[in-house]
Amino acid sequence: MADNFQVLEELGSGSFGKVYKAIDRTTGETVAIKQIDLEDSSDELADIQAEIALLSTCHSPYITEYRASFVKGVKLWIVMEFLGGGSALDLLSPGPYSEAHIAIVCREILLGLDYLHATGKIHRDIKAANILLTDAGKVKLADFGVAAQLTNIKSQRMTFVGTPFWMAPEVIQEAGYDFKADIWSLGITALELANGEPPHAGGHPMKVLFTIPKNPAPRLEGDQWSKEFKDFVAQCLIKDPDRRATSKELLRHKFIQRAGKVEAMRELIERKQMFEAQEENTTHLKYYEETMVDLSPKTEEDEWVFDTIKGKPTTIRPIHHTAKRRKTARIPSTSAEACASMMQRMDLNSAPLGNGNESPLRERRRPSSRKSSAATAIRVSSGSTPTARRVSNVPKQPLGVDLSFGNSPSTVRHFKRVSSGERRAALSSNPPPNGFQPNPQAKTFRLSPPSSAHPLDTNDENSPPAPEHPPLPVTKEALYGRRAYSKVLDSVFLEAHADSASPHQREAMSHLAQAWGNLDQVDPQGEFMLLKAMVDRLKGDAKLASALGIAISPAQSPTKHNTKASDSSLSGTTVHGTSTTRIRANTTTTAAAAVTPAATPFQTPAGTPSGTTSTSPLKGPKLLLAQNNPHLKSHRRRQSAFFVGGDKAFGLDPFAGGLDEKKLPGYVDCGMEQQGLLADILYGQWMQGLKTRWPLS
Amino acid sequence: MAFLFRNKQKNASELVRTTKELTVRLSEEPKPNPKLEEDLARELQQMKVRLQGTLEAEVSQDSVHQLLTLIVQEDLLYLLANNIHKLPFESRKDAQVIFSTAFRYKPVGASDPQVLHHVIQYRPEIIISLCRGYDRRESAMPCGGVLREALKYDAIAALLLYDEPTGDGNTRDLASVNPDVASTGEGVFWRFFDWIDKGAFEVSADAFNTFRDILTKHKSLVAAYLQTNFEMFFSKYNTILIQSESYVTKRQSIKLLGEILLDRANYSVMTTYVDSGEHLKIVMKLLRDDRRMINYEGFHVFKVFVANPNKSMAVQRILISNREKLLRFLPSFLEDRTEDEQFIDEKSFLIRQIEQLPSAPAPPPAAA
Repeated sequence: MADNFQVLEELGSGSFGKVYKAIDRTTGETVAIKQIDLEDSSDELADIQAEIALLSTCHSPYITEYRASFVKGVKLWIVMEFLGGGSALDLLSPGPYSEAHIAIVCREILLGLDYLHATGKIHRDIKAANILLTDAGKVKLADFGVAAQLTNIKSQRMTFVGTPFWMAPEVIQEAGYDFKADIWSLGITALELANGEPPHAGGHPMKVLFTIPKNPAPRLEGDQWSKEFKDFVAQCLIKDPDRRATSKELLRHKFIQRAGKVEAMRELIERKQMFEAQEENTTHLKYYEETMVDLSPKTEEDEWVFDTIKGKPTTIRPIHHTAKRRKTARIPSTSAEACASMMQRMDLNSAPLGNGNESPLRERRRPSSRKSSAATAIRVSSGSTPTARRVSNVPKQPLGVDLSFGNSPSTVRHFKRVSSGERRAALSSNPPPNGFQPNPQAKTFRLSPPSSAHPLDTNDENSPPAPEHPPLPVTKEALYGRRAYSKVLDSVFLEAHADSASPHQREAMSHLAQAWGNLDQVDPQGEFMLLKAMVDRLKGDAKLASALGIAISPAQSPTKHNTKASDSSLSGTTVHGTSTTRIRANTTTTAAAAVTPAATPFQTPAGTPSGTTSTSPLKGPKLLLAQNNPHLKSHRRRQSAFFVGGDKAFGLDPFAGGLDEKKLPGYVDCGMEQQGLLADILYGQWMQGLKTRWPLS
Repeated sequence: MAFLFRNKQKNASELVRTTKELTVRLSEEPKPNPKLEEDLARELQQMKVRLQGTLEAEVSQDSVHQLLTLIVQEDLLYLLANNIHKLPFESRKDAQVIFSTAFRYKPVGASDPQVLHHVIQYRPEIIISLCRGYDRRESAMPCGGVLREALKYDAIAALLLYDEPTGDGNTRDLASVNPDVASTGEGVFWRFFDWIDKGAFEVSADAFNTFRDILTKHKSLVAAYLQTNFEMFFSKYNTILIQSESYVTKRQSIKLLGEILLDRANYSVMTTYVDSGEHLKIVMKLLRDDRRMINYEGFHVFKVFVANPNKSMAVQRILISNREKLLRFLPSFLEDRTEDEQFIDEKSFLIRQIEQLPSAPAPPPAAA
């Protein structure tokens, strides 16, 4: 299947993969191919499948067309139609749109939404970055990474997903929402196109989540806009979803009715191209290259000894056997390439030890340093990115694509299997290493270093990346220290900094934050001990303790420390004495974030999605089975007897204890485990990203 | 002509009858007939709207009841299930909605899904036909969606698991099932292995989801089934799924294997499984795979073998003869999972267990 496509240059990186331009050899058509590295992907396979399933049931001129998907090696290739006009966000780079253009874009989005909503789908991430255009100016919805398919057109969703600035209040409040949430996001997108950025864009992304439900709905301001446009935005941005207009109603709105033809959008595309030409963009095209497969011959030692092959001469094999083991399956394509790879391999071998794996390592790491948002966003060139627009004094990064994504707001994805509240999960899970939101004030903008402790980045066969600081002994305390910093303290400092009004206070605060950040870099263990000492002393003083809400809790028990559930929870950790108290990582008020015993220290893993459990409705067919099926009925009886008996035996069996222990972590958790871990890591990365975006000095 | 149709609200029986006629004609038509498809698409859309309403309008329970009764009477669901791949793109989704609404439908006050009840009792062929939707890319996803919806009920799982070809082409009645009789391997359930293994990515992935639902939703039913059909099930599972060429199939099926084995309901299936040295070999090879997630998923199966206090002779022999290698291998196995405390704990537990193995295989206490 993969051989049918000639893969050309990279177009950009999405939330879980890279997008390449390619030519379909069978038709000669240009297509876009999204490649997802499934080994590296933090997303569950199921989520990716859901996206494909949803896309493949869409067939509309207003939605990016899905062609096919297939697995090649450990990569999933998703073939989509190629959209050469860039995203609506790219077109913003030379400046805001005119009202006429906004009307066209809004109408096309509405047509797309009308199609989606009528078939029970919610996009949940409408924003300029996810609106793509063809060369001819046709407007299409893209990136269905967080879209939802409702089984019933009337049902509601609770999951907290989307991109904060564009999120409808009812989504943030987790009170249940439906397709009307997209309409709100459309209204915000209209404001984005008119003003260059969504409302509250300068604010802290966390704060926005409080602002949106609290504040009155934003309105379009300014004399340059017509009454109709203002009314259209007002119709979209009604906080009560029941009173908010539907896409059908909005399609009849005067503002939309008088919108011009899509061909007019070409003006904007040309404007952007001109703009880019002026910017003198020397775009470094990145071409697709097959990932090098590491063919290091495994030493003979590697093989397990199984009785059955004992008879054969397995013990010492001549070297050429390793060549035999290089199955073509491990070399993704033609034999010529295989040959080349093998040659490469020989080269690598002759290189000094340790360098041999360099290139595959790098290749692997790149996709995993998740950039952000706009998964299917197809950027024709990097000059059109928001970065160029918003952070003009930034030195150009060597790799254009990176720029495009650092600055575009990321989409909060929903993590099904994270146990704690979806919101926290979603919040902390996806955000990419750099950047969560466009912040025009951001002074510096750099990529977080590749060594940003992402354990999953490194291939276990490869040597770890060189650390920035002299290697520290990794102790538990040090890990806790790091954790406390990345999960709690850093954000607390940020919050506090944002909250303090006077420049003096701010300065003092930023000094402290910087100093602490330094401490964290240099001595996380000391950091942790310091924290611990502080908390202990504070607890010693009854008055202070009660004022801070850290009175010694009765629930203190050393066993808590080992609770498995903690792994999958997203809470931060502060340790007092022997016990671990979990606090919510993103509690926003300073006091609360400092030390608050969590309301729910134990998060029970949400193993089964709610819809899957078979409960009472089962009665019907079950009954039927029993009535009509004596065999099955008696069989049932036996079965339940067996089951009860088995259960009892289980209790008595010494094995039971051991198994049970194994079972708890192994079964329910095994997937979730990962997820929790990933969420933690990503959260840390995100915080790191924030740090670079809002430098404290 | 078309404008006449649009204005006239057909009554329910007319709608069902026309849809049926058109579907029959479509199924007999040797080559695509756009006019016919268009007509049928309109009817199906109409039917969908009458069953679930629109975003703006509600539907009355009475009319839904009336329409569903007619659909059942005319046996329209069977026709649709067999021809879903021939429907136009949007109509396939409409058909899916019609199926799900029908299967979910419960009359006011009743706890029994009436239509599904009827299907199970009198028309199980519909369920089997829906499975055959996996034969084609066009029908795989709508059929899969409907199936998973229906699999909330154990009778559906039983229908699929215990399906056997009958001489007369009818689907086997659940009443004739004896769960102690081993399956011939000819029933529809076994086709899933092919659909997962051979299908295009979307088909394979969807079929796997349904397969997983069949095997995990109704525990006692499945436990009994697996016990009876242990050999055939695991030999297919190991050869077709675990050793699949497709990364996705391989990874998902190792994970599912772990889930099945560690489910309390499958206790005796698990003990039988971990007694086998052959199974252990397969799993140990997964630990050496060059893909990390395969290693990781494999680990969660491997640990069951090692943690078992009553290891069979065969398993002991393999573990003991590889003891040194395992003790060298495991400490650095996926060692970058530094924050995965549970994994680290489990790994060190396994290392201790392997260290403590006797020097020669001893008969397990249970067998003694």
